[in-house]
Amino acid sequence: MNQKNNLIIGLIIAGVVFMSANVDADPRDFVEGLPNIGIMLQEITEVDSSLFVTAFWSMLETIQMAFIGTVVGVTIALPLSLLAARNLNNKFVYIPIRALLAAIRTFPSILWAILFVIIVGLGPFAGVLAIIMYTVGFIAKLQYEAIEAVDIDPMDAVSAIGVSKLQLIRFVVLPESASHLLSQILYIFDYNIRQTSILGLVGAGGIGFYIINYIKFFEYGKAAVFMLVVLVTVLIIDWVSVRIRDNYIIKSQRGMQVRV
Amino acid sequence: MSLSKSSKVKTLGKSSAIFTKTIVQMNDVSASYDSKNYVLKDIKMSIDRGTNYAIVGHSGSGKSTLLRLINGMMNPTSGKILVDYQTPNISDKKFKSFMHKIGYIPQNLGLIKNSTVLENILIGALPRVSGFNSFLKKFSDYEIDNAKKILKQVSLEDKADRKIYMLSGGEKRRVAIARALVQKPEIVLADEIVSELDHVTAREIMDVLAEAQATMKLTSIMVHHDLQLALEYADRVAVIKEGEKILEIGVEGGRIVDFQSGNYTQREILEMFTNESKE
Repeated sequence: MNQKNNLIIGLIIAGVVFMSANVDADPRDFVEGLPNIGIMLQEITEVDSSLFVTAFWSMLETIQMAFIGTVVGVTIALPLSLLAARNLNNKFVYIPIRALLAAIRTFPSILWAILFVIIVGLGPFAGVLAIIMYTVGFIAKLQYEAIEAVDIDPMDAVSAIGVSKLQLIRFVVLPESASHLLSQILYIFDYNIRQTSILGLVGAGGIGFYIINYIKFFEYGKAAVFMLVVLVTVLIIDWVSVRIRDNYIIKSQRGMQVRV
Repeated sequence: MSLSKSSKVKTLGKSSAIFTKTIVQMNDVSASYDSKNYVLKDIKMSIDRGTNYAIVGHSGSGKSTLLRLINGMMNPTSGKILVDYQTPNISDKKFKSFMHKIGYIPQNLGLIKNSTVLENILIGALPRVSGFNSFLKKFSDYEIDNAKKILKQVSLEDKADRKIYMLSGGEKRRVAIARALVQKPEIVLADEIVSELDHVTAREIMDVLAEAQATMKLTSIMVHHDLQLALEYADRVAVIKEGEKILEIGVEGGRIVDFQSGNYTQREILEMFTNESKE
């Protein structure tokens, strides 16, 4: 390692220290606060077990919201991604669509949720709409990139038959980019469940609504129970999507036989 | 290698049709990908309907470009091309409907690797399917029967439901041929379809094409880098060197019937290709 690298690393560390002081992030507060975890854990044991049932149902609501948001979002994103792909359209089509998608992506889902709470009122519907918006912006971008990366040879060979653009999309573009799409859908569903868990913080339904309210009333044990349910759910979904990815995506992308 | 060897050729696939009409005509055609370097220079070529035409040349000689000019995927820089009395151009609606009748097998085959064999070859039938039905991947019973018949013709009838990535190199080439045949083509263009294959498989593939060419009475225009193979299977062989056509040979019953070359002797041409195979 040379001196220049040392200098850069030194500057980065100095930056972190300086900025921590600026934003009042003091590690001593963390150490002093650690015993509070003990209080929280103790409170969990005192929580009525029927609360787990409530937590389970609110988690189910969260998953349903994420599921609807993912399915509808992907359905809207797919045609948009076809219009945004440079290898399928002229610039008068793809530039406006890309601008629209970029605008949608500028908002994180929680800001979309606030906007939809104002428009449609409190409750899960606002959360679903927020998830749809986020999914559209995210999936459409990843998918048009996948479409642009579709192998030129099949595109060329099938175009040379003189087929229509719609037929080219149906028989070349979609099958060739399908494994990417499946991979992205799995990722965004996983991500949407985590996102939906916090949308309740702004009143947009789901399990976050309970968490924020228990915290407001200093019922940390109860809040922790709900957080634990989120943790377990996310772990399960993560495990399932890894299995699906291994069986259906990785192998087909590498041209290996798929084990079903 | 000597030309006399070609007298042992199989007669299979040598079309006996009487050539009456020209299907591909090129007058002083030049092509380039950038404004400086010409890939093809002043090509003159006349291909009769039903001919088994071979274009031979070393890699980078412009052979593939020649095929892309014929099917309208590329436009010449200068000169005139007529394919079935039309100027090939993918943007031209009238020519686009003739493209349905041109089976094109690019060097990398252009198969959809995540689709099945049957799905891949049905792509050749798409011009005959309505937009709505093709979006649902719905083909008539006739089209499916026809596709299966052609699968049988290329000896892949038991592989209809296999995905492309599960097939061998020879099988993939059969799928690409079948896709072209499902088009009910008048012309088949094949770009180095047997290069990279072993000797036996290469001849099997050539036999499949030769049989189809004879039974379906099509014009086939194939690009090769192996002169011997071209002489065995083709009626006419054109040799391209650095973008220029230096020779055209007519072959009949395995014998050279006419030899048109201004600058090279038969011996020089043979040496050109023998040296390459030694390299």
